[in-house]
Amino acid sequence: MAHPDLIGTEQRIWVPADDDVDMLVKGHIQADSEGSGRIKPHTIHWINTLKERGALEMRFNRALFTNGDSREPELAGIWGAVVGSFYTLFVTLLLSFPLGVATAVYLEEFAPQNIWTDIIEVNINNLAAVPSIVFGLLGLAVFLNFFGLPRSAPMVGGLVLTLMTLPTIIIASRASLKSVPPSIREGALGVGASRMQAVTDHVLPLAMPGMLTGTIIGMARALGETAPLLMIGMVAFIVDIPTGIFDKATALPVQIYLWADSPERAFVERTSAAIIILLAFLLVMNAVAVVLRKKFERRW
Amino acid sequence: MRAPEESLKTVGTPILEKNVKISCRDVNVYYGTKQAIKDLSVDIGEREVTAFIGPSGCGKSTFLRCFNRMNDTIKDCKVTGEIIIDDENIYDKKIDAVLLRARIGMVFQKPNPFPKSIYQNVAYGPRIHGLARNKAELDDIVIGSLEKAGLFNEVKDQLEHPGTSLSGGQQQRLCIARAISVQPELILMDEPCSALDPIATGKIEELINELRKNYTIIIVTHSMQQAARVSQRTAFFHLGGLIEVGDTKKIFVNPEHRLTQDYITGRYG
Repeated sequence: MAHPDLIGTEQRIWVPADDDVDMLVKGHIQADSEGSGRIKPHTIHWINTLKERGALEMRFNRALFTNGDSREPELAGIWGAVVGSFYTLFVTLLLSFPLGVATAVYLEEFAPQNIWTDIIEVNINNLAAVPSIVFGLLGLAVFLNFFGLPRSAPMVGGLVLTLMTLPTIIIASRASLKSVPPSIREGALGVGASRMQAVTDHVLPLAMPGMLTGTIIGMARALGETAPLLMIGMVAFIVDIPTGIFDKATALPVQIYLWADSPERAFVERTSAAIIILLAFLLVMNAVAVVLRKKFERRW
Repeated sequence: MRAPEESLKTVGTPILEKNVKISCRDVNVYYGTKQAIKDLSVDIGEREVTAFIGPSGCGKSTFLRCFNRMNDTIKDCKVTGEIIIDDENIYDKKIDAVLLRARIGMVFQKPNPFPKSIYQNVAYGPRIHGLARNKAELDDIVIGSLEKAGLFNEVKDQLEHPGTSLSGGQQQRLCIARAISVQPELILMDEPCSALDPIATGKIEELINELRKNYTIIIVTHSMQQAARVSQRTAFFHLGGLIEVGDTKKIFVNPEHRLTQDYITGRYG
């Protein structure tokens, strides 16, 4: 115990009121109807008494930012979903950025023009247009059923979202590599750089802002993606805050979907708040993309 | 009407007896099925400037890019024949094109400095080839190269400024400094002055005159006056063939071939 000296003394604490009380006070539920069922007449009496005594106040519910999910709207928070989304995106970024950039560099700078690279190219473009639920089905069939990875885990979510963001990153990175003038490559080759050195020393640094922008836009899309995560079980009701990429977790947009589906009137507010938070994250990510682009942009 | 075989036969003195740096024998270049260079044999003298002249599309740039195997980077481009630099056929299978390019500097038509600082532009080549053991040696190479390119006095206070912030003529001299920073034996110049004004051109020409004391230089140019001013030997190309080659004075004063005469007098091309 942190404060044993408190034992035996009288302490006054505030506790969050039930969501029905909240809704009543805010006027979302009618108080006068006898048979509404949700709030009994004597409860209304208590509420009125507490109000008169000043023991019932409207306060900002910080639990929304710090708690995990709950069946009780007044205790439900998005922190669990935020952490879940973070782990999922972390896995996605870790896999899709190096893979996407390497693929783009290979296809743009080294690959011979033959039937195989043509097929790869067509498939990358097609993948960008595949409905996201299909990636979820693939994740379910391959990662869960075949490889036996855990359900509802950010690891699997990240893998699925990697498949989804790869085409975006590859296409953006290739466009970015194409925009580097060939004279830069010739200049590097002319002083005896190998093709690899020309790419890593000169072409990649110049193409990086465009690649980063493409990656962040892909990540923002992944952050808002719900459908594939439903298929791999990230739609489960999870109260605990995940502590790693193999823990059970959910993600922000899925949390919104879950809350929107809940019957309690108070979840409407949680849903709205969660949507605002998701939009704020997207705004921040896009702002980061713009800033990075401006910061690394160089003229030649 | 002349017979075609007469018009494409090389006249003048393609084969040198002494002072040979490069000898090309039966060089053919194909882009896919199109033949860009036809059966070309010529010698390039050491420590002198050889100018390649000819109308656009005659293959002089293509031929120039054979010397450092820059054509390797172009798809469908095939080179046959022998180009021997210092007793070594550079199209031999055991020759590494990357190492070859380190021995041969190239200056391009449009100045193409790296979008890095002036210092980094020149230091890049020596760094990747490990020519300097420490920072002081690298500084010496950079400053020496900039001095040889006649640029050092203009940029000595702004070595950390981006190379792309210089004027066109300065950028081209920066590219020359970059080319000589790896101590090449041969410098290839592909119309180095075509994007420059007459004053910048004059500076580059002075520089070429200076550089030929230490380097073998091949320059492709569209300006006959430039060829006459800077080169010791001139080669005239036409439709992928070498028409005439010889001492610059002789080519411009007393050309043997009618096509050469037509070209240099401006009646054709």
